[in-house]
Amino acid sequence: MAVQGFHPSSFLAVETARLEETIRTGKAIAAVSGGVDSTVAALVAKKALGDRLVPVFIDTGFLRAGEPEDVKLRLADPAIGFKVRLVRAGAQFLEATSGETGAEEKRKRFREIFYQVLAEEARKDGCDYVVQGTIAPDWIETQGGIKTQHNVLEQVGIDPVSSFGFKIIEPLSDLYKDQVRILGRHLNMPGDMSRRQPFPGPGLLVRCIGSVSKTKLNLLKHATKIVEEKLGPFNYEQYFPAVIENRFAKNPEFKDLKDAAAEALGLPASETHVDVFEDRVTGVKGDDRIYGRLAGIKIKEDSRETFGWLPEKLRQAQVSIINRSPEVTRVAVMVKERRGAPALSVVIRAVSTRDFMTAAVATVPWKILKDAAESILKTGGALRVYYDITPKPPATIEFE
Amino acid sequence: MTVVPVIYVKGQYNHLIARRLQELGVDSYLMPPSTPLAKIDAMGADALIMGGGPQSVRSLDGLTQELRDASNLMSETKLPMLCICVTHQLMATTFGGKTNLARKPEFGPVEISVEDEDAILEGLKPSFTAWESHNDEVIAVPPNFKVLAGSDNCAIQAMRHERLNMFGVQFHPEVSHTTKGVDILKNFLGIIREQS
Repeated sequence: MAVQGFHPSSFLAVETARLEETIRTGKAIAAVSGGVDSTVAALVAKKALGDRLVPVFIDTGFLRAGEPEDVKLRLADPAIGFKVRLVRAGAQFLEATSGETGAEEKRKRFREIFYQVLAEEARKDGCDYVVQGTIAPDWIETQGGIKTQHNVLEQVGIDPVSSFGFKIIEPLSDLYKDQVRILGRHLNMPGDMSRRQPFPGPGLLVRCIGSVSKTKLNLLKHATKIVEEKLGPFNYEQYFPAVIENRFAKNPEFKDLKDAAAEALGLPASETHVDVFEDRVTGVKGDDRIYGRLAGIKIKEDSRETFGWLPEKLRQAQVSIINRSPEVTRVAVMVKERRGAPALSVVIRAVSTRDFMTAAVATVPWKILKDAAESILKTGGALRVYYDITPKPPATIEFE
Repeated sequence: MTVVPVIYVKGQYNHLIARRLQELGVDSYLMPPSTPLAKIDAMGADALIMGGGPQSVRSLDGLTQELRDASNLMSETKLPMLCICVTHQLMATTFGGKTNLARKPEFGPVEISVEDEDAILEGLKPSFTAWESHNDEVIAVPPNFKVLAGSDNCAIQAMRHERLNMFGVQFHPEVSHTTKGVDILKNFLGIIREQS
């Protein structure tokens, strides 16, 4: 469990030597997603293995619009030089996760299918090894029981050899995202790839809060495109939307939250409203997983106009709500709503973070949030758009 | 090279402590709390840093094996020691102070008011922003310890032994959002270098 001081060239020398010694004349599959972690891991492995490395991209069906083809093209860039095999497994992933509402159960089912598909590919090619881009936060959060990352097995006591028939190699497991990006640049990765926005392994599956459905996925694909377009120019380390059903918990203890919010905001209680969503979201309090609630604050439109963004007051409202009700792990503020159907909300999240272990809420200009919300509502897929105002901790960056 | 093992008690930021120390030119590794003292001495350790974790340490009776080991290690070692979050609480419980459920738990950014800069908080008066994640807190420091800093919701954010180089902080100096955190780690390393 050694932690090395980070110097890309010495890191590379140590890791390629380790790979050569481990795999010798054998072959390995590299599970690539087009993201910076898996691409850099594969590039490190390629240094040791050359053509004995087989890059495989699994289309899980939970990807952004056009992503599989786009990734295949990006990875074929001469600077990377991967001829990627595309495996279409969307139907399998959707079937395995449909009807499941629990975030951990969804993630575990995803993990199972992910490795089954990889095992099948490994068998075809006679590969004894799978190289994957697991980084430090992945195993720290999985081992700490915060959330099951799809690419962590051995660190939680699952033996990949007996379960799936291959050994796992994780060249980046002691690194954080910012270090991986440095290593990527050192390996001559094109800048747009070494800086690429992170995307979770289970993808849109964990951004459909609660049960996954085609309707939610469709809305999410539209909303993702809009959010990436509007927020992209600000260079936040992460920004994305999630979708949640407008079903609200009526527990008596949530009744007080409106007063807590109004007091912190300095508004009359008649001008604030707090809804607590039924579906649960993941949080981390005191290094422990909390599978809690999302509270949505609504401020009367004319108060909002004089009110503007006011991140500090909203921050106080968030702290005050979470103090009042320990079951709440996240607070969002409504940006815009419309009447009609379907009863879905989109929650936009944007954070600044160095290593994804802690995250501060990004102060996106209110006008930009409003623009994004209007575009999302125009698709007709949602009734409400919120903006998440919770740091990590007590929330995590992703919702599930 | 200064050698400072990090005692891993399954907290979210334990591995980050080692990373920060590496960035400061220190040789640092995660080690389990069950590591025998003789082994730590044989490594040439100059100090120990103990991280946070999800456990509750309100009494010594209810400790997990891991934290019982950490508590024993704290009592046995003569090395300078910085304990963070749950091990700050464990330090209080181990040496005769008190840890209890926090009246107002703190998550995310918190303003820390420095009362006494004594060594680890040097240069940080009057206050700084630190990130926190705790449900419990130290409510009484052990005999011969003094309080160095507090916040609106938690009176004991930092403490130290009056004479020995034993320090505890409730907040997380190792996370990047605690922008002055690296100064605290540097101050701690300064104390070690002075001593050796």
